Order: sequence, then structure tokens, then C-alpha cells
Amino acid sequence: MKKIIKVNQTLMAGVASLFLLAGTVQAKSDMHQLYEDNCASCHGSDHGGYIAPAINSETLKGRSPTALRSLIMTGSFETLMPPFYGRLKDADIRAMVKYLQSTPKQNNPPWTIKDMKKSLKIYVKDESTLPSKPIYQIDSMDDLIGVAARGKYGRGNGSKAIFINSKTHKIVGEIDTGTAAHIIDFDPANSRWAYVKTDTAEIYKVDLFSMKAVRSIKTGYNGPALGVSRDGKYLMAGSFVPHNAVILNSDLEPLKLIELEGVDPDGKMVSSDSGMIIGTPFADIFAIALENAGQVWVVDLKDGFPITKIKNVGRHLHDAFLTHKGRKLMVASYDDSIVIAIDLKTRKIIKKLKAGCVPHVGGGAAVKVNGRTLGFGTNFGTCNNNTVVSVWDLDKMEVVKQIPVSGGTESPAAHANAPYVAVDIITKDRRARTIQLIDKKSLKVVKTLDVGGHAYFPEYSADGKFLYVSAGYAGDEVVVFDSFSLKKVASIQMESPAGIFSRGRVKYMTRGLSPDEME
Amino acid sequence: MKLLFISVFLLSISSVQAASIYAGKSKAAVVCSQCHGVRTTSAEAPFPPLAGRDKEYLKMALRQYRDKTRLSEIMNNIAGSLTDKDINNIANYYSRQK
Repeated sequence: MKKIIKVNQTLMAGVASLFLLAGTVQAKSDMHQLYEDNCASCHGSDHGGYIAPAINSETLKGRSPTALRSLIMTGSFETLMPPFYGRLKDADIRAMVKYLQSTPKQNNPPWTIKDMKKSLKIYVKDESTLPSKPIYQIDSMDDLIGVAARGKYGRGNGSKAIFINSKTHKIVGEIDTGTAAHIIDFDPANSRWAYVKTDTAEIYKVDLFSMKAVRSIKTGYNGPALGVSRDGKYLMAGSFVPHNAVILNSDLEPLKLIELEGVDPDGKMVSSDSGMIIGTPFADIFAIALENAGQVWVVDLKDGFPITKIKNVGRHLHDAFLTHKGRKLMVASYDDSIVIAIDLKTRKIIKKLKAGCVPHVGGGAAVKVNGRTLGFGTNFGTCNNNTVVSVWDLDKMEVVKQIPVSGGTESPAAHANAPYVAVDIITKDRRARTIQLIDKKSLKVVKTLDVGGHAYFPEYSADGKFLYVSAGYAGDEVVVFDSFSLKKVASIQMESPAGIFSRGRVKYMTRGLSPDEME
Repeated sequence: MKLLFISVFLLSISSVQAASIYAGKSKAAVVCSQCHGVRTTSAEAPFPPLAGRDKEYLKMALRQYRDKTRLSEIMNNIAGSLTDKDINNIANYYSRQK
């Protein structure tokens, strides 16, 4: 009964808004386009928020239009919000404020398999014409580090995936991505290929030998989730807008669309954003976290792509990392401050472990110390200034320590050959310029590095000798430190660098584990 | 003679104010670099880069924007809060960037 009433209300609201809209359709659609072209890649095509806050009639209720206009003009310091003065006409900025304050969060716009297929672009028709080895000097393809350079405006000429030789710290290739690059995933089976996903859900297939994009496809409106299967034959991409995920082959042809909805831990049927998607060296599967439904689904890469649904995992799942040769998956749950260990063989929850405030594990980190496998989890939130990095024993699945750090953290980096686990402090004041280094043995913060800019997403080079950190926002450089002396050894210029991804990750699966044998 | 006196006076001011690059860096980070970048601006930005520009020119322009003898809705607001010392520090910092 309740459900029917709800549907009726939605229907009525829909009909009512249709009537209201009729008079101003032209202007509204112009504003929608302006929003899509300037705001949607961060704030979400549905106005519901994405990597930036939701901007709609509800969230902006009571805000001064003058203050909103200045905010759009000047941008917001210490965030990715750029200044639109000079880029948008003042009349457009004023109209945008009005439009945002009167537009409710939109229903999911459809993006079907047909739309995807239509969006497939092929830049290199005959892949046999590609070079058989890298056209630049590099000892091993694992030495490549990819950086998601967002571009100041999240789009345009500054938005690129930039590839660096992590031994020489020189750029060896740049791929224009049109909108902000977010995730770079490497094909574990063939060192030639990488996949770059943007905030507007395009996937670029990149030939790392020639440093060229060979094809691209748009899989939705927003959403960074992307995984590559262990054999490199399949990809899976998930979206925030709309609420679905798609399995593709390595030619970026979509094979199956999966709607993301399910009963959440509170018993409510919900439609869900896609959280992380991960392939694992353990099996021919993908795991995907349904953010709002609090479920993890395991998709078998065989006929029909059957799905096993693991329910009641947590409230608002986000990201995850693998351990134990890829059999165990550690999933972060924002709202109940836990990390959930899942066995991908039995497809059951092993244990729910206490994390800090709003766990965001980034790519996670795991290191072997004195025979124990220790997992490191960063935590976004700053509840009561109780900011910690969580350490768990991943063999026994128990909490080892909650290490006090100076602020909220987003991503840990570790390497088997490097002495420290690096975490990025993201609390929005001077602390955001720093990363902190935790000694693997004492599990204490032993050093704080001032990187300049907004320092985030630390990553070690494949040999563990160098620590790369993005100095984003106004910093506009990637800074490289010696892993042992922690002296700055290089600076690489680019526009709004964010995520850093070493190809070494395909060897050690999770950062910090042995690069020589799968642990 | 008067001119000499003025220039000595100015010199002493500038040495007293011994424009600090560090103060300039932190001021630039919160006031300028959002639009003008540190070394370069965004490939998409309509704003001129400031790195490596002539120090005296930067000082003059900032004072004019502050004093509204040069008009720009946005720059008059942003430069409005800067002191002479801030302006010296910022100009000194940006002129040394490459």
C-alpha cells in the first residue's frame, strides 16, 4: 500500500512539473545544457552531487543568490571549484543561480546499451599498425605511473591522463580526455593496454606503447568505477548517474547492462550509485559495491554473467581493496564506520571490522610485518577530531591499532621495499598541504611532509624507491620524494593532478604487498 | 635634490618592507593563484599568467586595482583588501616564478 501511494505521488509531481515546465521549456533546456557543459561533471547530471556537493532547489534553499553568484565567479578556495568569471557571461551566471535554486534533484536520466554503442569512437582502426614495443625509453612497463590530471575546469585542454617514467620522472605520454580523468586501470595480462575513465563516464582504451587512445565509449553521465578482469578480456564500469553498471569486452563493446537496486540494510528497496568495481587475480569475476543498497555483488565472467548478491554489508559502501591473493575483499562503509571483510570464494561476509570516522580506503594498502599481513585504511571524516588511520590484521581479521593522524585521510600508499606508509591529510586548512608517514614497524606517525598545494593520492613507484604525490588545486604539480630520505627529487607540472596509479599495482595487487610473488 | 630625497625615502621603505617571498607565496596562494595559477594558468582559463612578470608592473597594477583607478569588477574587489606590504610581497613572489 505504501509503495503505491509513493508511486502516485511521484507521478503527480511529475505531471505537475510537466505543466509548470511547459511555458519555459526553451530556456530550461538551454540552462540544462549550460549546466551539463560546466557543472555536471562534478555536481552530477541529476543535480544530486557527485565529487562536489548536490546543487538543487533543496540543498540551496535560503542561500543568498548574491553569495552564490560570487562563489561561481571566484570559485571556492581549497576545493576543486574553479572561477567562472570571464568564462561564463554574467547574465548566464545569474541565470544559473536562479536555475539551480529552482531545479529539484532530477530522476535518473536514461543511458542505455544503445546510447553506449552509439557513443563508441574508434581512433585507431587497425590495431596491427601499432608499434610492437614502447616508442620511448623505459626499462619495464611497470615503471609507468599514470596521473589523472583533472584540468582546472574539469574539462577542456587541461584534462588529461599523463604517463610518467617513474625512474626518470619524465613525462612519456599524454592522453587528452576531454573531461576530468578520474581512474586509470592497467590490463594485468598485456602491458600494452590501460583504460582511463573520466568523471563523465567515458572510458578511453589507451595503447601505452604508442601513447595513443585507440577507442572510447561513454558508459553513463557520471561515475568513476572501473575494473579490469585478470585476463584482460573484460571491463566493468559503474555509474552514479544513472544507477547502472555495464560489462564490456576489451574492444569496449558493451555486453550486459546491470541495473543497480536492492534492499538496503534497513529493509528499504533503493536504487543505488555504483561504488567500487574490482577485478581480482583470484578468479574470473568482478565485485561491485552498491553504495546505497549496501550490497556487494559478485559477477561471474561466464555465459549470462550470473550475479551472487551479498546483502547487509553496510550502510553506504564506497571503495575496497584485495588481500590474500585476491580472495579477500575489504569494503569500506561510510555511514557505520566499518570495513567489511568478504570472502570471494564462499561469497560471504567474514567479519565487520571497526574503522575510523567515515572510512575511505582509497586503493588501500597491505604490508607484511613480522609474519602478519597488516591492512591500512584511511578515514575521510573528522568526528570529534578523532582522526585515525585504521590498521587491521588481515589474517586474523581483527583491529590492531587506530593510529592518530593530524586530519581526515583519503588514500594510503605503501610498498614492500619502502619503510613508510604514506597517508594524505585532506582536512581543509594548512594541513591539506601535508602527507604523513607511518613507520610500518612502530605503527606511529614519524614524519609530516609539506608538499605544497593540496597534497593527495600518494603512490610509490614500482621499485618502491620514489613516492609520488599530487599537489592539486592551486599547486598544479606532482611532487616526487625519495622514499628513504624523503627529500624532494622532482616536480612535474600539470593541471589539477589527482589520482596517481602505478602499473606496478598489477604485480602486487594491493600496494605494499610483495612485487615478486602474489601475497 | 627633492627627487633624490624621495627616491632615498622610497628605497628605505622597500628595504624596511624587505618583501618576503614566503609571505608573498602564502598570500598569492589564497588571493591570486585560484585564477592566475602559480607558474601558469589553466589551458582553459581567461586569466593572464603572473609568473615572471615585471615586479614594478605587478605592483602598479595591483595598486591601481585596489585604488580603483583601474576598473575591473572582480579585481577591484579582490585587490581591495591588500595592503602595500601584501602587494610588495605578491609582486616579489610572482616576478621570481618561472
